[in-house]
Amino acid sequence: MVWNRKIAYINLSTRKIIRKPVPKTMRQLYLGGRGIDMYLLYNHVKPKIDPLSPENVLFIGAGLLGGIPCLGAGRCDVAAKSPVTGGVGDSNVGGFFGAELRFAGFDHLVVTGKSKKTVYIWVQDGEIEVRDAADLWGKDTVETQTAIRQNHGDEDIKSLVIGVAGENLVRFANVRTGMKNSGGRTGMGCVMGSKNLKAVAARGTMNLEFAKPEKLLDYCKEMNDMIISTRWARAQSRWGTMIIFSNTNTTGLIRTKNFQLNLLEDGQDLEPENIDRYSIGTAGCYGCVVHCRHRYVLKDGPYAPFFDEGPEYTSLGAFGTMVNVKKLETVLAANHLVNKYGLDTLETGGLIAWAMELYEKGIINDKMTGGLKLNWGNEEALFELIHQIAMREGFGNVLANGFRDAIAKIGKGSGYYAIQVKGMSNLHSDERPTPSFALGIATATRGSDHLRSRPAVDMYGLPEEFLQELYGGPVSSDYTSYDGKSRMIWWQERLYAVTDSIGICKFQTVFCAVHAPKWNEFSKLIQLATGMKFSKSQLMQIGERIYTLERMFNLREGFTRKDDKLPERYFKEPTPLGLPIAKGKKIDRKKFEIMLDEYYALHGWSKNGVPTKKALVKLGLDKEPTHMI
Amino acid sequence: MQKILFIDPEKCTGCRICETACSMHHEKVCNPARARIHIAKWETAGLYIPVVCLHCETPICETVCPVRAIKRNEKTGAVIIDYNLCVGCRLCVLYCPFAGAGIDPLTGKVLKCDLCDGDPVCVRFCEPKALQYVKATRANTMKMRKAAEKFSELMQKLLAP
Amino acid sequence: MSEVRCLNCLKRFEVQSNAKEATCPNCKTKYRISWPTPTQAKIRGPA
Ligand code: SF4
Ligand code: SF4
Ligand SMILES: [Zn+2]
Repeated sequence: MVWNRKIAYINLSTRKIIRKPVPKTMRQLYLGGRGIDMYLLYNHVKPKIDPLSPENVLFIGAGLLGGIPCLGAGRCDVAAKSPVTGGVGDSNVGGFFGAELRFAGFDHLVVTGKSKKTVYIWVQDGEIEVRDAADLWGKDTVETQTAIRQNHGDEDIKSLVIGVAGENLVRFANVRTGMKNSGGRTGMGCVMGSKNLKAVAARGTMNLEFAKPEKLLDYCKEMNDMIISTRWARAQSRWGTMIIFSNTNTTGLIRTKNFQLNLLEDGQDLEPENIDRYSIGTAGCYGCVVHCRHRYVLKDGPYAPFFDEGPEYTSLGAFGTMVNVKKLETVLAANHLVNKYGLDTLETGGLIAWAMELYEKGIINDKMTGGLKLNWGNEEALFELIHQIAMREGFGNVLANGFRDAIAKIGKGSGYYAIQVKGMSNLHSDERPTPSFALGIATATRGSDHLRSRPAVDMYGLPEEFLQELYGGPVSSDYTSYDGKSRMIWWQERLYAVTDSIGICKFQTVFCAVHAPKWNEFSKLIQLATGMKFSKSQLMQIGERIYTLERMFNLREGFTRKDDKLPERYFKEPTPLGLPIAKGKKIDRKKFEIMLDEYYALHGWSKNGVPTKKALVKLGLDKEPTHMI
Repeated sequence: MQKILFIDPEKCTGCRICETACSMHHEKVCNPARARIHIAKWETAGLYIPVVCLHCETPICETVCPVRAIKRNEKTGAVIIDYNLCVGCRLCVLYCPFAGAGIDPLTGKVLKCDLCDGDPVCVRFCEPKALQYVKATRANTMKMRKAAEKFSELMQKLLAP
Repeated sequence: MSEVRCLNCLKRFEVQSNAKEATCPNCKTKYRISWPTPTQAKIRGPA
């Protein structure tokens, strides 16, 4: 059966490998993917360890529905204690690796210890080997995948790899697969590097068996039709996530010059339509009809000629608006650079934008930057700093340790200008006009994070009766309002936790489109695939369980209510630009705190954000860690 | 008028839904390695090419099959293996220049597209329409239109000041 | 014809087919328009 894939424990210090079935009770409590990864994280990572030590554990988990032909169901979750935040490290990556891991017979890999030599893990049809990676070390993320394919003589191998940034233990190094898919956030590539693990490669020809294969197949088609019939998915399938830029930059919801402005004036070149100049077509992840990225070729300009995929909306901010670059070609080239090095695009851009503001304010100078002129929009400096971060050279070496260390090192009030939460950079979205988004980034378990809870549909001004029905309680339809927004976040948190656990793509649930698959559809998919029955409320409870366990992990690491905060500037500096709806907005401190109280209460957490005994008992979490797997 | 499987690689996004759906339809399991269609990828160049039986007018597989197990279904136009006759010598796999026939990695049996009795599941699932099942005349005109589009682009470039 | 949602007042309004610009009748905000599909308009940027 589909839920009967194995979990493997791989100790890189001793080279011992143990394979076990995943017990069905685990599926009933946590489904798979992120859910089971979070259980493993809480159970296998001892409190207060150094994330870069051999005691940290790396978890790789495929979703419960991984492999089915709909909704981008090939995703994979990568987790460990984060070297960026010191809390939950977790990143969900699309592409084809997650599905291939299942075809190779495994749903979960638990990688412990540290290898003396550089290695990669080779998974094929139920077998696992730890192999020498001397010839892969030093290669970029794409070369590494090609070399693995050549070594094994099989073009269909899918690998999860790190680049040079991961090898150099850049704190926010990511893990990558394919040309573009990245487990970007929380530094999972750094953890791999700390274990001397260059890659995990998979290839499989094993059957995934389903409870009702014929009905499931038909229902998958229904799901694909459902998502692609939404206006949002259709637009996204044409221009990729770049289309978000049209809305945010027009309205004034996009961080510009770090945090000085909230839209990029004369930013027309970054509009999504311009990707047509370089595109040779779109590309999808496994099982996806939305295909939200372009395959593009840059024939001339910096670093050209090259082929790459993307760019994500995120990169338009990271190497566009935030650093005041107005040329798409520069963004495409920078996107290409971070992809090759294996750096999180957002963290890299966030840190560089911050450094540029510090440079402008005179908090850092030429002496500190080693002569780099960090002026707004200076593309030479941008490329050079990306390079320096990945190689840990010069001033880049200061930024390579992430916001926390860099703020401590630079001092002089530089922290005020850092747009980060729990040590992790915010997205380039400006949440001052949208309290719901602001609450989301403040409370997210993995540091400032738009993907833990963002209720993007808040932006549509939907009728309140409809919102009440969807969110199960009163929610204001005005996105600038604070009313009911805690409920919105709570609901989305649980939905995304389940989405990440069954291994489908967030763009194919209620993220940007309302009439997208959600609880009932998930429930039916799970039943047809596995035979296991979950009601809507049971799935919601699983979401709550996963999210609460993440919260417990962070509390155990010493986080408190004080860490659920926003950068000070959100409260002090009103947005200077934008349409009337978004202009002159800042977060009201008092209302924000009330929202936070409500949010804790909805979860059944105390005023300090600690889950009550009652809440834990209800979720069956009162005895954790229970070490069931 | 017989329909044909029309492939337009330029539209393929590489999602592999066709592979998965194919294996679920034919084998009742999800296993792209057992699908009759395969997406050959040159990932680092962004090239995705659907590879599947072309149901040739003069099928080489039919010619080389020593036990005459391969025949055309006149209704659907599919070139089909009769597994009651097939002895599994794999000559068809060896000789097909388009890799239209393959080997099932689990059973060792020959795998070949049968156009799903005239309603190909891959076509039904291919959202960008890289795979279509259309009347032969329609396939011709689609090709012609595409050629004409390229020509008109060229003309526009030539005529541009 | 296609509808777009005004980014300022969030009301939907009609856009003529192939139009490159449109103004929200409610709040008078002016936008540039583009077309992901021939029947679906979207806001491209401020006019
Ligand atoms: S929408 Fe984008 S990220 Fe999601 S599965 Fe499709 S291609 Fe992948
Ligand atoms: S379903 Fe269509 S787009 Fe997807 S891989 Fe197959 S041929 Fe390509
Ligand atoms: Zn309006």
